[in-house]
Amino acid sequence: MTAISSSEALGGSQLRDWLRHHGWTLGVWLLLGALVVWYSTLVPSFGGFELSLIVNNSLPIAFLALGQAVIVIAGGIDLGVGSMMVLTNVVAAKYMEGESFAVAILIAVVLIAAAAILNGIVGWIINVSKVPDIVITLATLFIFAGFALAILPSPGGGAPGRFRWLFTGSESGIGRNAWPAIIMLALATQVVGLWLVKTRNGLSLYALGSDPTAAYLSGVRNSKAKILSYAIGGGLAAMAGLATTALTGSGSPRLSIASTATLNSVAAIVLGGIALTGGIGSVVGASGAAIVLFILNPILTARGVDPNSARVIQGLLIIFVLMIAGVLEQRRQRRS
Amino acid sequence: MTTMTTTKPLLAAENLAKRYGAVIALESASLTVQPGEIHALLGANGAGKSTLVKILSGVISADNGSVAVDGTPIRLRNPDDSMSAGLATVFQDPALIPDLTIEQNFRMTGVDRTIVQEWLVKLDIPELDFDSIVRDLPLPLLRLVDLARALAHDPRLLMLDEITAALSADQAELVFGVMREWKERGRSVLFISHRLTEVLHICDQATILRNGHDVESLAPGEGGEARLVSAMLGEDHHESSAVREGTNTGDHVVLEARDLHRLDKVNGVSFELRAGEILGIAALEGQGQDQLFQILSGDRRPSGGEILVNGEPLVAHSPYDAIREGVVLVPADRLHALLPQRSVRENLATPLYNRLSRWFRLESDEKERVDGAIDRLDIDIRAASQVRQLSGGNQQKVTIGRWLAAGFRTLLCFDPTRGIDIQTKAQIYQLLRELADEGAAVLLYSSELREIPLVCDRTLVMYNGQVVDEIADARTATESSLLTAAHGLEGVST
Amino acid sequence: MTTTSPTVSPPSTRGADIGAFFARHPLIVLSTVLVILILVTGAIEPNYLSVSGLRGTALIAVPVGIIAASQTVLMITGGIDLSASMIATAAAYITAAQAENGAFVAIGLGILVGIGAGAANGIGVGVFRVNPLIMTIAMSGIIFGLFSSWAQGWLAGSTVVGEFVRTIGGKSFLDGNIPYAVVIWAVLTAMIVGMLRYTGFGRMLYAQGDNAVAARLAGTRSWQVLLIAYILAGVLSAIGGILLAGRLGAVDLRLADGLLLPSVAAAVIGGTSIFGGVGSYSGTIFGALILGVLSSMLTFLDAGQAAQQILFGSIVLGLAWLYSSITRRT
Repeated sequence: MTAISSSEALGGSQLRDWLRHHGWTLGVWLLLGALVVWYSTLVPSFGGFELSLIVNNSLPIAFLALGQAVIVIAGGIDLGVGSMMVLTNVVAAKYMEGESFAVAILIAVVLIAAAAILNGIVGWIINVSKVPDIVITLATLFIFAGFALAILPSPGGGAPGRFRWLFTGSESGIGRNAWPAIIMLALATQVVGLWLVKTRNGLSLYALGSDPTAAYLSGVRNSKAKILSYAIGGGLAAMAGLATTALTGSGSPRLSIASTATLNSVAAIVLGGIALTGGIGSVVGASGAAIVLFILNPILTARGVDPNSARVIQGLLIIFVLMIAGVLEQRRQRRS
Repeated sequence: MTTMTTTKPLLAAENLAKRYGAVIALESASLTVQPGEIHALLGANGAGKSTLVKILSGVISADNGSVAVDGTPIRLRNPDDSMSAGLATVFQDPALIPDLTIEQNFRMTGVDRTIVQEWLVKLDIPELDFDSIVRDLPLPLLRLVDLARALAHDPRLLMLDEITAALSADQAELVFGVMREWKERGRSVLFISHRLTEVLHICDQATILRNGHDVESLAPGEGGEARLVSAMLGEDHHESSAVREGTNTGDHVVLEARDLHRLDKVNGVSFELRAGEILGIAALEGQGQDQLFQILSGDRRPSGGEILVNGEPLVAHSPYDAIREGVVLVPADRLHALLPQRSVRENLATPLYNRLSRWFRLESDEKERVDGAIDRLDIDIRAASQVRQLSGGNQQKVTIGRWLAAGFRTLLCFDPTRGIDIQTKAQIYQLLRELADEGAAVLLYSSELREIPLVCDRTLVMYNGQVVDEIADARTATESSLLTAAHGLEGVST
Repeated sequence: MTTTSPTVSPPSTRGADIGAFFARHPLIVLSTVLVILILVTGAIEPNYLSVSGLRGTALIAVPVGIIAASQTVLMITGGIDLSASMIATAAAYITAAQAENGAFVAIGLGILVGIGAGAANGIGVGVFRVNPLIMTIAMSGIIFGLFSSWAQGWLAGSTVVGEFVRTIGGKSFLDGNIPYAVVIWAVLTAMIVGMLRYTGFGRMLYAQGDNAVAARLAGTRSWQVLLIAYILAGVLSAIGGILLAGRLGAVDLRLADGLLLPSVAAAVIGGTSIFGGVGSYSGTIFGALILGVLSSMLTFLDAGQAAQQILFGSIVLGLAWLYSSITRRT
C-alpha cells in the first residue's frame, strides 16, 4: 500500500529532490545566461570578441574558484590560493619568456605539479599542527606572495604566443576566438566535478567536509583526504596563474592581487552554492558564479556606470543573494 | 549450525585499557567471542562498553592490552585495520555521510550495492531510493542501511552498538532475524544493548563490564535479568523507587495548550499544566513529543492553536519570549544546551544575561545564584574550567542548574535522564519532585516508560501527534499499560 | 563522588611539567616570545633598546592592535571582519575631509562611518544570517567602490588630516616619551577587557560563539548580540583608521589595506579561536606588539619586501603552531 503510493509520487518528488540539490547550480547558470543575453543587448554587436572578452578574463578567477571549491568542499578554506596563482604567474612569465611552445608546456606541467605538492604540504601542516586552515593559509598568503616578489621583483616576463593561444584563443591574448577558453574551463570543471562525485577519493573529500567523524568511521583517511584537497586546490591555482600569464603576457608579483583574487574566489564559491561549512555544493556552480562576478564589470561599463559603482553593485549582489539564501534557510529550518 | 573445527576463539581481547587524561575509561577489560555466537556486552553507563567497542573498531587505540582474531594478534590503528581483520561495526550514530546520497556512500566505502540490496530486502526496506540524500532520511532507516552495509563487508564479527535503540518493535525483530542468520553462517555478533529482555531473548553469551573491568561472563539464561542487573550494578545497588508520598494536584493552571498543531507532527494537542505537579508525557519515539516541546519552549511556532501562560496567550517569536514568561526548556541533547568551552559557572549564569537591560554589568547576586545551583544539584566542579570535560551526568545537571540560577515557573524536561547513570538519574528526579513541591510546574517526557509512574503525578499518552489518553494518577500506571496505550488504540495498524 | 562515574586519578605528579604550565598561562608564552623578539631586535640594532626605539614600535602596533580588537570581539562570536581595513580607511577619509569643521566633528563623523558600516554588517550577519566572511568581503568591496567614486567627487581634494588628529595619532607627551595614541589604546583596552569579562554582553558574545543553538535556547536573541558586536567592531576599526591617518598625516584609499591581515593574525597569535567561544583581548595585544616588533626588526635588517612577507608569514605560522601545540595539552 505505502510502496505503491510512494512510487506513484516518485516522478514529482524526484524532480523536487533534484531541484533541491542542484537548483542552486542551475540558478547560477540561468543567471549567467540572462546576464550574457542582457550584455548582448547593451553592446552594438555581440560576437566572438565580446564573448572571448568575458570568458578569457574570467578564466583565472574561475580556475581559482574551482580550486577553492575543492578545498572548501573538503571542509577547509585556503586564503593562500591567490598567492599561489600570483607565484605561478610570475614563475611562468619569467621562465617562459622567449622559449618555444614545447618548453612552455613543459614549464606549465612542472608548475602545476609543483604547486600541487607545495599546497599538499600546506594541507599536511594543517593536519599536523591542528591550527585552523584559515590561519595557516593566512600565513601562506604572505609566504607565497613573498616568494613571487623574490623571483620577479618587478612586473615583466612573457610567454610564447601559442601558449597564450591555448588559454585565450589568440597569440596576443585578445581576439575573437572564445573556444579555447570555453573548452579549457568546461573540461576542468567537468573533470574535477565528476572526479569529486564519482570516485572513492573524490567522495572522500565530500565526506570529510560533511561529517569528519562519520567519514573516519567509514574508513576515510581524513588526513589523506585533507592533503589531497589542498594539492588539487594548489594545482588549480597554478592553472589560474598560467591563465593569467597567457592573458596578460607578463608576471605581476603584487600581494594585493593575491589577496583580492583569494577574496574573489571565496565570494565566487559561496555565490556558486558551496557551503563554507563543507560537504555541500558543486564545482559546476562555482565556475559559473566566477563568470557571473566578472561579467558584471563589462555590463555596467556598457550601461555607462563607472567601474567604482560596479564594485558597489557586485558587493550588493553578493549580499542580496546570500540574504535571500539566509531567509530561505531560516524558513526551511523552521519547517523541519 | 556449523560444527566448530577449532577451539580457538574468533576474537580474544585481553586486558584492554584506555584513559583520557585523568579519567580512566577502561581499566582492564577482556572479551572472548567464539565463532557462531551472539555475544552480549553489558554494563551501566560509564562502564566502558563504548570505549571497548571503539577500540575493537579501530576508532581509538588502546593504551594497553592485545587483540587477537583466530589466535593471530592484530594491530588496530584505524577503522580500516579493523575492517580488514574481519570486524564490522554499526555505531549508534550511523557512519553515513549526511550530505551524500546512499549510492555515493556505498561507492565511497567500496561495497557491492547488489549485496547490500539483498540485505535490505531481508530488513524489509526493498524500495529504498539509493539516490536520496542521507540527511533527508530518518534515523531508524539509516541504522538499518548501515547494518546492511556492514553485512555486505562480510565480516567475521559484526558489532552492533545499541542498534535497536531507535527501532520499532517489528524492525528490531527483523534485525534479530538477520543476527540469527549470521550466526547460522558460523559468523558471530557482538550485541550491545540496554534492553535486557532483548539480550535474554537472543544472546548465547554475555560479558558484563563494570567500572572499566570485565566482571563476569555467563550465558544470560542462567539467572535471568536479575543476575545480569546485579552484575552490572555491583553490590551496593538499590532499586530506584518512587520519590514521593502522595500526588500533587494543584488547581492553578500555569500553562495551557489549546489544540496545538504543527505540520503533520502535532495534530491538536490540548492539556493543562498546574502549579505544583509533574505532568508526564508517555510516548514512543517520534509521536510528535519533540515538536510539542519545541512549540511550548518558543523554539518553533505552532501552525495552529494557542498557548496560554497564566491565562494569557503567549505568542513566542523565540525562546526568549517563553523564558520571560517563566517557561523554560531542558533539551534532551546537551549539545543544544551547553557552552562546551566555557566554565561551569559561566554556563550556569548564561540565562541571567539574555535581555538587553542586563548587558551592562554582571548581576551582583550572580555568585549566590550560581553557588545555590551547584550546591542544590551537587555538581562536581573539579573539571570546572570547561564544561565539555564534565561527565554526562554532570553536564545534565548544569543544563538544569541554569534554570535554578535564573529562576522559572514552568520546567519543560525533554528526556532529561537519557544516557545518565542511575545515581544522577535519581538525583534529578528527586530535584524535580522538590521543585514541584515548591510550586513549580513540570512537564516531563521520558523515553523510559517505567520511570513515569515513579516520578509523575499525572500522565498524558501521546500517539501520532495527539493526546490519546490521560492517566489521572500516574502511580497506577505500569510500564506495560503505558506501552499499550502508547502504541495507540487497538486495531490501528502502524 | 559517585560509584558509577569514571574513576578520576589523583593529579599527576608531572603537573609541574613546563608545557602544562604554559598551557594554563598562555600569556606567559606570548610575553616570552615578545621579549625574545625585542632582545633579538636590540642585538641587530642596539639603538632600538631605547625609549624612542620602543616608541616607534608602539606607534606601529596601535592601529593594528585597535583594529585587531574588532577582530577579537567578532572572532569570539564566531565571526570575522574582512571589511575592517576598509572601514578604517573610510573613517580616516571622512575625518580628513571634515578637518576644517574642527577635530571633534571630523572624528565624530569618522566614527559614524564605522557605526554605519558595522551596523550594515551586523544586520547581514545577525538578521539575515549571511556568512560573516562573505558579508564583510562584500562590504569591503562596497565601501571601496563608494569611496573611490566619492574621492573624485564631493570628497575630492582634502586628504590631509587636521592637527589634532595628527597629535593623537603620532605625537607624544612627557618630553616626547609617551605617545598619545598609546594612552588612547590603553583606555580602549581597559574598556574592552572590562566588557568581555565583567558585563552580561561579554558573556553573550562568548555564548553566541561557543554554541549558537544553546545561546538561543537560553533566551539570547542572537541578532541583537551580533548587531551590537559588529557596530562595536566598526567603531573600533574607525578609531584605528583615524589614529593611523594621524600618524601618517594624510589619507588615501589604500590607507589601511596592509592592516587587515595583520589584525586577524594578531588576534590569532593571541589565542582567540577563529571558531568562536574562546579568546581574550589581552592575548591580542601581545599579538599586535609581536607583529610591531617584527616589523621594526625587518626594517633594521633592511630586508626587502619579499623577505618581509615571507618572514611575516612564517612567524604567524610558527607562532600559531607553537601556541596550538602547547595549549592542546589541556
